[in-house]
Amino acid sequence: MSQFHLGEFEEIVLLTVAILNGEAYGVNIISEIEDRLSRKVSLGAIQTVLKRLEEKDLVKSEFGETTRVRGGKRKRLYEITARGRQILNRTKAQRNSLWDAIPKVVFKFS
Amino acid sequence: MNSSENKPPRIALEFFRWFCHPDFLEEIEGDLTERFHEYSGKHGLKRAKWIFVKEVLFLFRPSIIGNIYHLTNKNSIIMLLQNKRLILILVAVPTLLLIPLIAMQFSTGVDWKILDFLVMGVLLLGTGLLCELVLRKVKSTKGRIIFCGIVLLVFLLVWAELAIGIFGTPFAGS
Repeated sequence: MSQFHLGEFEEIVLLTVAILNGEAYGVNIISEIEDRLSRKVSLGAIQTVLKRLEEKDLVKSEFGETTRVRGGKRKRLYEITARGRQILNRTKAQRNSLWDAIPKVVFKFS
Repeated sequence: MNSSENKPPRIALEFFRWFCHPDFLEEIEGDLTERFHEYSGKHGLKRAKWIFVKEVLFLFRPSIIGNIYHLTNKNSIIMLLQNKRLILILVAVPTLLLIPLIAMQFSTGVDWKILDFLVMGVLLLGTGLLCELVLRKVKSTKGRIIFCGIVLLVFLLVWAELAIGIFGTPFAGS
């Protein structure tokens, strides 16, 4: 994907990071996606996309606290950046414009 | 329950620590461990271990490995070499199978078909893995010698039966 367009999964992960509002890290991003979209996601896929989004400056991260259940390892908490918000807004506007352009008759008999 | 049993599979974890880029190691290992405990509570320990192995394999991708220079890190290699006996077994099986393969090029006395290689491969691998299991589970030297001896004896008997047929089973060779 180019710097200015999001892939489908990238968009989902970026939206989920925004939903979790500063509390987003690997495990709860997966839980959120599985709960909301009933879609199985692997840790490998999530981590790959998070690294890519960070490279594109759409999210930023910092180490959070550690818990016993994590074996003493810290979480990396992700947060959406201004650029990430801008891209999401643009993507949403593009989608809305496509939906608005569908002739009403298309869904009339469905 | 033994506390060591409630931990992620050691070999998979060491493999992950070896290939994962050091910059990502802490966060992803934490995520893996947290998911392991979550699955352990939901689905039981055995299934949680399988899912852990699967997740480690799915993490084995360029974006997580990063540059390859860290793969030659000395500590990582030492950890991996703790399993060198297992690696040796896995390497020894195809190496031993090369002997008849090479012999076939120089002598008409050796004439193995694909099935022969397959059967011998399964036999050698099975024997090697069973010996590895014995060496890991049995701590006393006497016990190790006895159990490994039994495994090797069974291997030789099965081989002899398949090759020349000493018991007259339907699988006996002539």
